[in-house]
Amino acid sequence: MKKLNSKYEKLSAYVDNELSAGEARELEDEIKFSKELQDKLNELKRIKQLTVSSVKRLPEAPYFETKLAANLNNKGRTYDRFRKWIPAIGFTALAAVLMIFLKFNPGVLNELVEKQKSNIAGFYQENLKPLFFASDLSNEDIFNFAFSKQLPLDKTNGQYLKLGYEPNGKEFFEIKTSGAPQPPDNLNKFIATLKLNNAQKRQVDSILASYAEDLRSQILVNDKNTIAINPNLWNYNKAIAADLISFARNANEEEFNKIVPAGYFKYDKPEVETIVRQVKNIKDNNYIFFTPDTIFTESYQPDWKELRKEMDQAREQMKKDMQNAKKNLKEMRINFNFDSSFSKLKSDTSWNKNFEVFIDSNLCRVHISNINIPDVPMPDMDAITMEVEEAMKSIPPLMIEIPGGRNGKGYSFKYEFRDSTSNSVKIRIPDVDSIMKSMGIFGKDSLLYNGKWKIFNPDSLASLHKLLDDSTMFFNKGEFQKEMKQLQKELERMREEMKRLRIEIHRDSLQKHEDHDSVEI
Amino acid sequence: MNTKNTEKDLQNAQILNLDEDFSLIKRFIDGDESVFAVLVQRHKEKVRNIIYLTMSSSNMVDDVAQDVFLTVYRNLNNFRFESQFTTWLYRITVNKCKDHMRKIKIRNIFTPINDAENKADETANPEGSDISGIVQRAIARLPEKLRVPLLLKDIEGMSYQEISETIECEIGTVKSRIFRAREGLKNILKPFEEELMS
Repeated sequence: MKKLNSKYEKLSAYVDNELSAGEARELEDEIKFSKELQDKLNELKRIKQLTVSSVKRLPEAPYFETKLAANLNNKGRTYDRFRKWIPAIGFTALAAVLMIFLKFNPGVLNELVEKQKSNIAGFYQENLKPLFFASDLSNEDIFNFAFSKQLPLDKTNGQYLKLGYEPNGKEFFEIKTSGAPQPPDNLNKFIATLKLNNAQKRQVDSILASYAEDLRSQILVNDKNTIAINPNLWNYNKAIAADLISFARNANEEEFNKIVPAGYFKYDKPEVETIVRQVKNIKDNNYIFFTPDTIFTESYQPDWKELRKEMDQAREQMKKDMQNAKKNLKEMRINFNFDSSFSKLKSDTSWNKNFEVFIDSNLCRVHISNINIPDVPMPDMDAITMEVEEAMKSIPPLMIEIPGGRNGKGYSFKYEFRDSTSNSVKIRIPDVDSIMKSMGIFGKDSLLYNGKWKIFNPDSLASLHKLLDDSTMFFNKGEFQKEMKQLQKELERMREEMKRLRIEIHRDSLQKHEDHDSVEI
Repeated sequence: MNTKNTEKDLQNAQILNLDEDFSLIKRFIDGDESVFAVLVQRHKEKVRNIIYLTMSSSNMVDDVAQDVFLTVYRNLNNFRFESQFTTWLYRITVNKCKDHMRKIKIRNIFTPINDAENKADETANPEGSDISGIVQRAIARLPEKLRVPLLLKDIEGMSYQEISETIECEIGTVKSRIFRAREGLKNILKPFEEELMS
């Protein structure tokens, strides 16, 4: 059957004139002798003819080209129309692909964000150095930090960092470009108030100095105007205050109780020592990075070895060449500048979860909502430090005592701190009183109280007060003499002022006809 | 002698055609798009007839033909001159017919039964009830793979070689399919033997 079909296929091809001449001849020979093949050939020819004759050709399409031309233009326009959507379609497709990709790889985005964050963190962590590495963190600064929660960022420009607590107990810090500076000499007032002797004073200095190194590691700055604050700083604030209060109570309980009512501070010495030890032992490398671009927390480990090496080198150099060392130290110093560049933080909300930031022209306050301060059971120092602060305010910073005298040789001018053990200075000043008397201005009355010690608050003598700052506590003979000369000049000026004042007072006295027992300036 | 001359003339005409098509395409590739109209003019009727024969319906012929020439227009720059233009053109035509028929089949799946039946009737009875009508309906009932080579041969007069290139199969397959188409047609037309004899 298969063979027969093959023969018929050949016949069909023969009908279509598709056989080669040889094949055709061969087949024709076979057809001559086969009735079956002849019949099949006729059948195939008939079917072919039926097919050819029955299928009519289509009539021509006269407008085919016109229609095609229109279609070609339309297709072009369609393509143009489509082309303008290509970017949108592209972005949509890309977004869809991204969405699908992120759906199945949710960690990728987080990784990217973390990478970006670590890039930013890396940038702002470069060249971080302790703020107080090169600047002077004096005992006075540490004392003020303990009781006023303030640390100087830039003494020249009056910028400082202040720690605080919100009413709900959460911590905040603020950076002020300017503001009320600390009243000077708080430490000495503290010492004077407690009537500490020299040995005790040295102990206070030693306590404060013991925190200097630790505080250095709590605040870091760099040349990118970054300030990194270790949250343990809040603990240090309380620990230093507790340490000082504990010492003060032990040193002179009677005087201490005048400042802080008995029972306010319940912690005994061993307890305070434990607290201090705990705070100092906290190795928390998480810093709050406050930058012109953002605020974030990140772990950071300063290379203390390298930094100490730099310091040691600077000290060594200082021994050899003081002038150059000072210059080098100045170069090492990095000041933090809170300037207008921080205003962009207002528009940044990326850190909203952890921080709340309030910024105005000279203040930036950062509320730390979700940052954990290392947990140490600390005493509530706020009430106590407020008492101490108040006590400091009520103490005049400097007492000047002027003995009266009418021996024609002038008056003796003496000033001393309330601490009776500290040095005092006696200065000869002109006998202003006798001069005034000789001028007949006051009659028998004296500017200064006759024969008795009169206490002046030198705050009213602003110019005098300026000269008598705490630097005079450390008596350097040469410098002191120089200052005394300046003081004399100042007193000359004061005398001129007195003269003018006398005239005014005299006018008043003429009007009122009243006598004056004493005059307080 | 006369027959031989005629065959020679045909071959010469084909070579001439081939050369003409190639030169027109070259001009098109060189940027003269106006020659495309000439190519369309020369081949549109053949294309339309192949579509008509392949799809067994005149309804869609012009739409499919337009589609064919749009495809040619978009791809003519990529023509590689390795085969005749007509071979390439007819292959596109047959493929477009297959695409359209596939689309119609899919569309019919989603068409209500009554509409689909009406359409099937229209296709089954395209040209009336005379002999040619009977034959056309019989041809339409052939499977596509048999119908197309048969019509390309009998109506369009293509050689087996051309058919094999157009429908992309072997010459032997073309030969076999044409024979089977004729056998199928004979069987379909058996009930109409009397009408056909008269």
